[in-house]
Amino acid sequence: MPNSFMQPASSIPGYSATELSYLSYADLPRFYAAERARIWAEFESSKDGGQYVLARTALVDVLVQQTFREFLSRDLLAPRNFCLVAVGGYGRQELFPHSDVDLLFLSSDNRSPSLKRDTVSAMLQALWDLRLRIGHSNRTLADCYQFQPDQFEFTISLLDARYLAGGWEVFENLRQRAIPHLVARERQAIVARLEDFTVRRHQKHGGTIFHLEPNVKDAPGGLRDVQVARWLSQIANLEEKGAWDDPELGWPAAMREAARDGFRFLCDVRCFLHGFRSRDDNLLTYELQELAAAKAMGMRGELCADAADWMRHYFRKARSVDALATRMMEGSQSARTSLYGLYQDWKSRVSNTDFSVVRGRIFPRRSPLTGGDPALLFQLFEMVARHDLELSPEAGRWVEENLRSLDENQRAKPSDSKDKFPLGCWSHLRPVLSLPHSDRALRAMHQQGVIAKLILHFRLIDALVIRDYYHRYTVDEHTLRTIQCLADLRAVARSSQQEPLPGSMGSWRKKFAELLFEIERPDLVTLALLVHDIGKGMEAEEHLPGSIVAAEQTARRLGLNEEERETVEFLVAHHLEMSSAIRRLDTFDPQTVRWFSEKMGTVERLKMLCLVTYADIQAVNPEAMTPWKAEALWQFHVHCTNYLARSVDEERLEVAGPASAEVQKIAAHLGPSANPQDISHFLNGFPRRYLQTHTSEEIAAHFSRAVSPKKEKPLHVSVRRRESWYELTLIAADQPGIFSTLAGFLMAWGMNILKVEAFANCDGIIVDTFRFSDLFRTLELNPAEKAKLENQLLEVLTGNLELDTLLSSRLGSHAALHPKVRIPTRITFDPASSSHSTLLELVTQDFPGLLYHVSSLIADQGHDIHIALIDTEGQKAIDAFYLTSQGKKLSSEAGQALREAILNRLEQVKSTPTGLDPSP
Amino acid sequence: MKKVEAIIQTSRLTPVKDALQEIGIDGMTVSEVRGHGRQKGHTEIYRGNEYTVDLLPKIKIEIVLPDDRLEQVLDTLLQAAKTGKIGDGKIFVYNVEEAIRIRNEERGDLAL
Repeated sequence: MPNSFMQPASSIPGYSATELSYLSYADLPRFYAAERARIWAEFESSKDGGQYVLARTALVDVLVQQTFREFLSRDLLAPRNFCLVAVGGYGRQELFPHSDVDLLFLSSDNRSPSLKRDTVSAMLQALWDLRLRIGHSNRTLADCYQFQPDQFEFTISLLDARYLAGGWEVFENLRQRAIPHLVARERQAIVARLEDFTVRRHQKHGGTIFHLEPNVKDAPGGLRDVQVARWLSQIANLEEKGAWDDPELGWPAAMREAARDGFRFLCDVRCFLHGFRSRDDNLLTYELQELAAAKAMGMRGELCADAADWMRHYFRKARSVDALATRMMEGSQSARTSLYGLYQDWKSRVSNTDFSVVRGRIFPRRSPLTGGDPALLFQLFEMVARHDLELSPEAGRWVEENLRSLDENQRAKPSDSKDKFPLGCWSHLRPVLSLPHSDRALRAMHQQGVIAKLILHFRLIDALVIRDYYHRYTVDEHTLRTIQCLADLRAVARSSQQEPLPGSMGSWRKKFAELLFEIERPDLVTLALLVHDIGKGMEAEEHLPGSIVAAEQTARRLGLNEEERETVEFLVAHHLEMSSAIRRLDTFDPQTVRWFSEKMGTVERLKMLCLVTYADIQAVNPEAMTPWKAEALWQFHVHCTNYLARSVDEERLEVAGPASAEVQKIAAHLGPSANPQDISHFLNGFPRRYLQTHTSEEIAAHFSRAVSPKKEKPLHVSVRRRESWYELTLIAADQPGIFSTLAGFLMAWGMNILKVEAFANCDGIIVDTFRFSDLFRTLELNPAEKAKLENQLLEVLTGNLELDTLLSSRLGSHAALHPKVRIPTRITFDPASSSHSTLLELVTQDFPGLLYHVSSLIADQGHDIHIALIDTEGQKAIDAFYLTSQGKKLSSEAGQALREAILNRLEQVKSTPTGLDPSP
Repeated sequence: MKKVEAIIQTSRLTPVKDALQEIGIDGMTVSEVRGHGRQKGHTEIYRGNEYTVDLLPKIKIEIVLPDDRLEQVLDTLLQAAKTGKIGDGKIFVYNVEEAIRIRNEERGDLAL
């Protein structure tokens, strides 16, 4: 809709210009009422908001001009020293049914004799009496040359100035001199202020278009954004060409038509809202969505099935407006030099052979390969997630082309082909999900339609409005916000800031950020969040079953392994339970804690679910996560964590028999020769945690190594690479000191133990899993060393090689790690957690060899380790040992002696320069 | 008119709300609060760090009602909120001078 700066709006149908000019002031109320009713009737028939705003502007022009004649000058053109100007929405001929009518009384100078305050007041009073919502200002031309930051709205409204009456020369001075001069001199300040206003307005509306009840004027993607795009374009015209032009011609050609279409739609809807509400209310409530859908408002011949369908239409239009405003703002930003610009330039150093990065935007360097290239497609989003980048329009087109090629390629393949995109893409997608800016990458992937390709059902929740009292966003937006919440926690965890974070949620954000830092697979949490509400798009009473199906299908489609798949399905299936528990259950009740902890099974799953719950609540609306809820969630998590850590020894497996589900699941991985009775026997007596921390496939492998047909004592060692660490599994008959031997052996090899789980069954078969990092990259650089390590350990365990010999070459050979934080040592003995053993909990500064020092002290004092759970968080070691002494719990004297021995040893280690010298 | 303020266990909110609705009390204000009475707090250890839980999460329900409904509401609250354990909470009753419905300016019992 081009602006007209020179002419009053068009005339009124049925009236000649002369007739209008002779309308008496007394006739205006009747004339206004009749014409207002007529144009509204026309709108109800045509549903064309664009026509309505033009017609109402023309009508108001008549009222203003006739009032001008009545109070200021019979001849509109007679006054020479001042003029009357329409500004703002009235200036650009966009008067909605209840829009304000903004007038500027512009004088050539302060001495304009014809513009008396009383007369102006009388004219305004007359317009108010006609029930027009008049806003007015009095300015001189000199005022309009000045940029007053605190009167920014006035400055920007001048860009829509339109002549109404009075001295033509005064208006021409404004249009041809004052405004161009102002823009030329203050462009940067004006644009910066406009962007600041826009960003604040967007923030006020949550920074998203996807509100369940959006404001069609002020929310992102609303009418105000169209104005922002026009203003930025007009400012560029005035500065670059020194002349006014149709601002829409300055919009990117590829976006222009979609944005105009979006504008037309929004105009129709805003007219409808004003008409229905009888006031300037631009909130598209549920009730009005129903009505708008029933009237097919803005559809212009297109069909819509219901309110949800109509809202999807709305979001499509708002998205094109939002994209235009964003692009225009980015364009104006890049035109300015700033520190931000320098920072963006710095990012260009992350360019590589496939993609270049310029001012925070990523560009492809070559066309997509014929047939598409999934690896490169994911590499693009991985860069976005790693470096916080935006897709350039070129990258957007490149993604579209790539997807199109992949689609064509799929069609050429047989339907059962296993290398069809996105089958098996998990290895490509996984890094994107755990990187610092995964939220940004996933948003871009959603906009480009990549997520819908990866997760078949995701399109069901695209811009989906589900009405409830608490949710503020569409289902897809809520989903992306949960991931944004994780990114926020990641930023908190990365920040080195020691001071408390601001806001009432600050301390809680820190705690949950630590939790995120502790979990091993944040990618699985992100994937679970991506699919957790997909069921809302399916036809069902409850969304959970649909979401579980989506999780299961997505996991198979992408190629997650069994363990990963089970974790994602678990998180989705239970994603409502923790928030329900804190609201409905007594979370301080030990029975509740026990019930919920058993449901979780492991601390790792509990932590992951806690994060899913936190993010899910946080993303409902900005006020949904209160400090109260955060505290309740955190405390429940602490109670359950403590329960899980302290109940391992009590929760032992008593497998019902060969037909039990556990046995059958394991038997499925073994050949027909495996006897279910033997499997059942093997499982009996292990802590329940054993089943929860190993997959059935792993347990099947343990079983086949533990149970030999010749009834020999088992002894099996295997080392395998996992993620960034190694895992050593020992299956053997229990013997005194075996745990400390193993810890000492790994220390002798220079390995840093990160995590251990040591269990034994009723027959005294131990399954110990040691996770360690290879400090000196021995195994990584020399693959043959893995077999050597395995063989050497077998030699030590069978007594053919002395551990001390190995240790003597290692002790004192490398310096201790320099601690970045000091962790005070805390030792507690809990005789109550287990009915037959004493729980020793040790929290202290981690260092290589710690486990060997502690476990050898335990062995030296004649105690047996029944279960060991060893964990590290950064430089904090968190160890739990279930101990017995001659088959009984430790006496308090024995506990005291062990405590002193451990404290002395740790003190010795601290005071030794190498940190490792004191021999056990 | 009386104002009833009940501090109850978080887990009793739904039963209390349902019981009040059954006797025709639909209007209420519910807040998430933290505090302690004689129950006091306790010390927790999490991953080697000790911290004190001195303010426990509770729910506060506020209801304003005509004088003649007070006893019935108190009975209902007591029955629905009681678990018999420490920390079940407390009920406070206040006199209310006036109530005004903002929409139509009705006053007194009519505004409730």
